[in-house]
Amino acid sequence: MKFSYFHLMPYHFFDEPQKDWPTRNTNFDPKKAQELYTAYTDMMARAEDLGFDWVGCNEHHFSPYGLMANCNLIGAALVHRTKNIRLAMCGNLLPILNPIRVAEEYAMLDVMSGGRLIAGFMRGIAHEYIAYNTAPDESWERMAEAHDLIVKCWTEKEPFGWEGKYYKFPAISIWPKPFQQPHPPILMSASSIESARFAAERRAIMGIVRLPGYEQALESIKVYRDTALTNGWKPGPEHVLIGAFTCVADTFDQARAHLERGLDYFFNVLNGGVATAQRIVMQKTRYYQEERTKAQRAQHVAAQRSSTIDERIETGQVLCGTPEMVVEQITRMNKIFGHGIMNVNMKVGNIPNDVVNRSMQLWSEHVLPHVRHL
Amino acid sequence: MHLNRIEIKVKSETLTCYVGGEGPPMLFLHSSGGARLTPALERLAEKYRIYMPIIPGFDGTRSSERLRTMLDVADLAAEFVDTAIKSPCDVIGQSFGGRSAAWLAIRHPGVVQLLILAAASIRPNGEERPSGSPEDARLRLFAHPENLPPETRPAEWLAQNRAVSLRLRGSPAEDAELLGRLKEIRALTLILYGTKDGEIPPSSAQFLKSQILKSMLIYVYDAAHAIDSDQPDHFVRLVDGFFSLGETFIVARGKEHTATLPS
Repeated sequence: MKFSYFHLMPYHFFDEPQKDWPTRNTNFDPKKAQELYTAYTDMMARAEDLGFDWVGCNEHHFSPYGLMANCNLIGAALVHRTKNIRLAMCGNLLPILNPIRVAEEYAMLDVMSGGRLIAGFMRGIAHEYIAYNTAPDESWERMAEAHDLIVKCWTEKEPFGWEGKYYKFPAISIWPKPFQQPHPPILMSASSIESARFAAERRAIMGIVRLPGYEQALESIKVYRDTALTNGWKPGPEHVLIGAFTCVADTFDQARAHLERGLDYFFNVLNGGVATAQRIVMQKTRYYQEERTKAQRAQHVAAQRSSTIDERIETGQVLCGTPEMVVEQITRMNKIFGHGIMNVNMKVGNIPNDVVNRSMQLWSEHVLPHVRHL
Repeated sequence: MHLNRIEIKVKSETLTCYVGGEGPPMLFLHSSGGARLTPALERLAEKYRIYMPIIPGFDGTRSSERLRTMLDVADLAAEFVDTAIKSPCDVIGQSFGGRSAAWLAIRHPGVVQLLILAAASIRPNGEERPSGSPEDARLRLFAHPENLPPETRPAEWLAQNRAVSLRLRGSPAEDAELLGRLKEIRALTLILYGTKDGEIPPSSAQFLKSQILKSMLIYVYDAAHAIDSDQPDHFVRLVDGFFSLGETFIVARGKEHTATLPS
């Protein structure tokens, strides 16, 4: 099994829940943010020394939930601070971005890093569409077209143009082209049936970064595998990524307390504005094309907010406890999902950085050696 | 704007031809399916005078003894331009017509101003034509069959079209000669290829791009082999943009620019 150290880079200097969308940035403190960026990139660079196989970045907009408006910049900051760890951009939000720019920046990261990029092609959470003034109803079509165009940029041997429904570029020839051939592995979010199907049709690695519940996740994995077979290929464990909020501590009570507080802050303070935006988007759009997916998403969001730590451990939403307990939790999840990549997010909400660093240390010394073989 | 079916006498033949529209002349060399009048062509006729000669033997016309190869078709097309259009003109060759358009540009460079090869039926690696059921063929040709105008031509015409195109298609030696001489095309060329084309491999379009010195290749998204039928708005935009603007076609225009047909 491979392990990915994922970071959201939260800005956690609010005392009160942030409900408005977009979250006002009146009191943004650049000095504090600079310190956060330094601390966070230090953690992410350290992940390699601690035995992680991937380090994961992401893209979110207009919210203190995450300070990575462009994950590629963080990826670039990590290129020369690391040697072997894969740089997982999880990832550029294709439907709201210029696909040529994505193709170019990903190619730059891949070349600069000597071929370590995992290219995340993400659709984005609903609020991102307000941020970049893009119609959510168009998200799937844009995603499909942008995917094809980016892969073309990477693989075409001659200059070419593109005449599409959403993108028109008459003369393209990107420099650089990717290091990895034919192109970097592509990772897509696949927590719903429609996204699982989409990922499998394009031979992408599927990722469920936050489990919506075992049943739903298993259904997504099944759809992914069945769709892959229909499309002429067979995915292995290395094509399935499962993620969880994670806290490893010397005692269970410590881990539980830290994670409980962090999750409370994450959902009820940092995530408030995002939730408001999502509610607005869901009302009148077909961001989720199937009603069932929309309903599942709503249930999942509600459950995420209200579950206890014990419930979250039971349903695989979190890895929490002593190293021995976390080993057992990962082993159980692997038995259930058969996944080959475990994505851990340790900086949850406002968990102090020293607690996160301790969690990383315990992980490296006492968890990883016992789960590497899975 | 409507195209009319008329007879035009050229030096060696009397050709049946669709002609219509007002504006700079455009020669359209049709596919092996025959001379199909599509909404895209009728829209282009609002700005161009379109000439679509029917290759003898297609669409119920009398075959010509003289036409044995695509080179003969190209020579006939050159005679047609000299006689009916009377000046060099812009040329589109679609699929099978793309082969004759390429030969026209090679053998009669003075006739061709700007050239468009739309899903040109040129297979650089000698690939076999795909086979399968009529439904398979339909899917290779059309991503959006719902766009097709109803077929009104009799079945015997369509059968004859297939027979004539097979006869004219050419030997492997002729294929090799064409592949080797693409470099001689001097006209600025736009190569169009549908991302869902199941009839011609993408290596065909890529090969054309690599061989024709002054060329551009544009992939038309969500179009199969019949680009004009699957994506008429995009086809019209590309053809009109390229023929109006030439090499400056690649430069974005602001909203005020009116040189091209609105979609």
